[in-house]
Amino acid sequence: MKIKKLLVANRGEIAVRVLRACREMGIATVAVYSEADREAPHVQMADEAYALGAAPATESYLVVDRLVQTARRAGADAVHPGYGFLSENPAFAESCTAAGLTFVGPPAAAMRRMGSKTAARALARELGVAMVPGTLEAVASDADAARAAREIGYPVMLKAAMGGGGKGMRLVRRAEDLPEALRAARAEAAAAFGDAAVYLERAIAEPRHIEIQVLADAHGEVIHLGERECSIQRRHQKLVEECPSPFVDAALRARMGEAACRLARAAGYVNAGTVEFLVDADRNFYFLEMNTRLQVEHPVTEMVTGVDLVREQLRIAGGEKLALAQADVAWRGWAIECRVNAEDPFAGWLPSPGTITALHVPGGPWVRDDSGVYEGYTVPRFYDTLMSKLIVWGADREAACERMARALAEYRVVGVRTTIPALARIVGHPDFRAGRLSTAFLERVLPELRANDGRFASVAIIAAALAAHERVRQATAPTDSTAVGAWRAAGITGWRRP
Amino acid sequence: MKYVATVNDESRVVDVTGGDGRYRIGIGDEVWDVDARVTAPGVYSLLIDGASYTAGVVERDGACVVEVGGEWYDITVEDQTRHVLRTRGEVGSGTRSRTLMAPLPGKISRVAVRPGDTVQAGDTLLVIEAMKMENEFKATGAGTVAEVRVAPGQAVNAGDILIVMA
Repeated sequence: MKIKKLLVANRGEIAVRVLRACREMGIATVAVYSEADREAPHVQMADEAYALGAAPATESYLVVDRLVQTARRAGADAVHPGYGFLSENPAFAESCTAAGLTFVGPPAAAMRRMGSKTAARALARELGVAMVPGTLEAVASDADAARAAREIGYPVMLKAAMGGGGKGMRLVRRAEDLPEALRAARAEAAAAFGDAAVYLERAIAEPRHIEIQVLADAHGEVIHLGERECSIQRRHQKLVEECPSPFVDAALRARMGEAACRLARAAGYVNAGTVEFLVDADRNFYFLEMNTRLQVEHPVTEMVTGVDLVREQLRIAGGEKLALAQADVAWRGWAIECRVNAEDPFAGWLPSPGTITALHVPGGPWVRDDSGVYEGYTVPRFYDTLMSKLIVWGADREAACERMARALAEYRVVGVRTTIPALARIVGHPDFRAGRLSTAFLERVLPELRANDGRFASVAIIAAALAAHERVRQATAPTDSTAVGAWRAAGITGWRRP
Repeated sequence: MKYVATVNDESRVVDVTGGDGRYRIGIGDEVWDVDARVTAPGVYSLLIDGASYTAGVVERDGACVVEVGGEWYDITVEDQTRHVLRTRGEVGSGTRSRTLMAPLPGKISRVAVRPGDTVQAGDTLLVIEAMKMENEFKATGAGTVAEVRVAPGQAVNAGDILIVMA
């Protein structure tokens, strides 16, 4: 039952993450790539790599048959779906199982139970777990939505029924804004998850987004690894996460952990999953949804608990028992993660695809960079904007904040705009340092985040002038052969397998 | 060599002399001695009066984006002769066509206006789907829509003109 060869049905930093865990466990690895990803790092890192199709995800990473066939042809015995793409698609899980491939994730039935946000809410209600007031089913029509919104009371939150990752979500404050918000949410949901169904919830004022990591094996054991606070979000997508939460004490952790495990058990859950809650100022928690996959922000839990979550996923999928019991789980120190996205934070987070002409990644004690890029890599425009995750650990929250500030100051990306300057300002903000977080944090702080306050204007002009000067000089200088030119001149064009 | 650097619509004359890593740079009335090395493509290590700065420079279509000290600056640098020639013939600011150009490649998700519509600042003009996100583009000022050059479902490239305001 132990996995010998695994195909990663994903790309970017999470594919790299899974490949690393496989390598450490002696599992042979297979990567798949679209036409836009031939030069992606996960392709270079794997033992074998196979083409999947054209760049758009719908023609490559989302094509179930091709993924399953590729896994069979390569002789893989397992598939890891990563996050996003098909990771919460029960049909994909079933196709893998039917083809004799171990799917590293929950059984399709559990995925269905919890993956439909509306079905999950119904289960939570059954179990007596408190929920955010809202519709139990997706809204059938605009009129339906308007009626539900009137009953629930504005402001309401529109969410994709098959969704996650903040896509297909819209906050609606007034009835007039509902039709357009519905259209946009449905379009985003259809594009991201292949299903336009949308449901409504009451929008709670300034809540904290706190989620619980659960791990369950196929022998009936379910444990939780504590919480992550993910309140710093833009467009409902997480930007900064931490473990533990500055708002959660041991008692609240135990209550939320118990509720999360109860839900997971009732759903017949196996493998890694995350139960998301909203927590209000009075420390009441409300079930939001369960993500039936590994989360982007899993590293902060790893740094604080010492548990390698992907390794645990692979062990569980291989039929092994959980490596630890609930009583063995301990939290030490503090971890913070910042998402380095290819976006311009000072231009409405506009995506910024392009070539990374220079990359300098921070190092030093307890600094971790989970990257899906490299220097010289061209960030394609067909997928999401996540380039890498910067994670730090400190002995306490203050140390972690200082370390993250230091690491962000060292991080240099030239060629594409990134969220780094905004992240630096967020981590340095007095409210962040004081742990005063909520999902409204970024909206409140954003107007204060400016591209520059002019401190380095002269230095910037000097650099720009020197760059122009260098160009002029090179244009008039005799051409000299670069290292690459010499290589080509010698006729070395690469080698092929015999 | 004299250049003109423009930051935030403010132009200044920049004089660069020297070479081989050691330069004397004058910006307006101030002069700096700069030790400069290119340590990676587009990365400049600058030692100015003992202070160490590292600047990342990306040039695109004649304009520069410089990142230094966690701050971003949009700078255009041209040699002085060209700047003088270019700006000499410029007509004083009168009414100009305002265009909305696609800042990145994507697909038009929705067009919210038609030629003849009047819009206020903040009104949605159109929505472009790119990198799995819907990006709304809003009017920066009041005006009338003169031309709409795209339709829903249409793929656009960076630089394409989407809407022209009167």
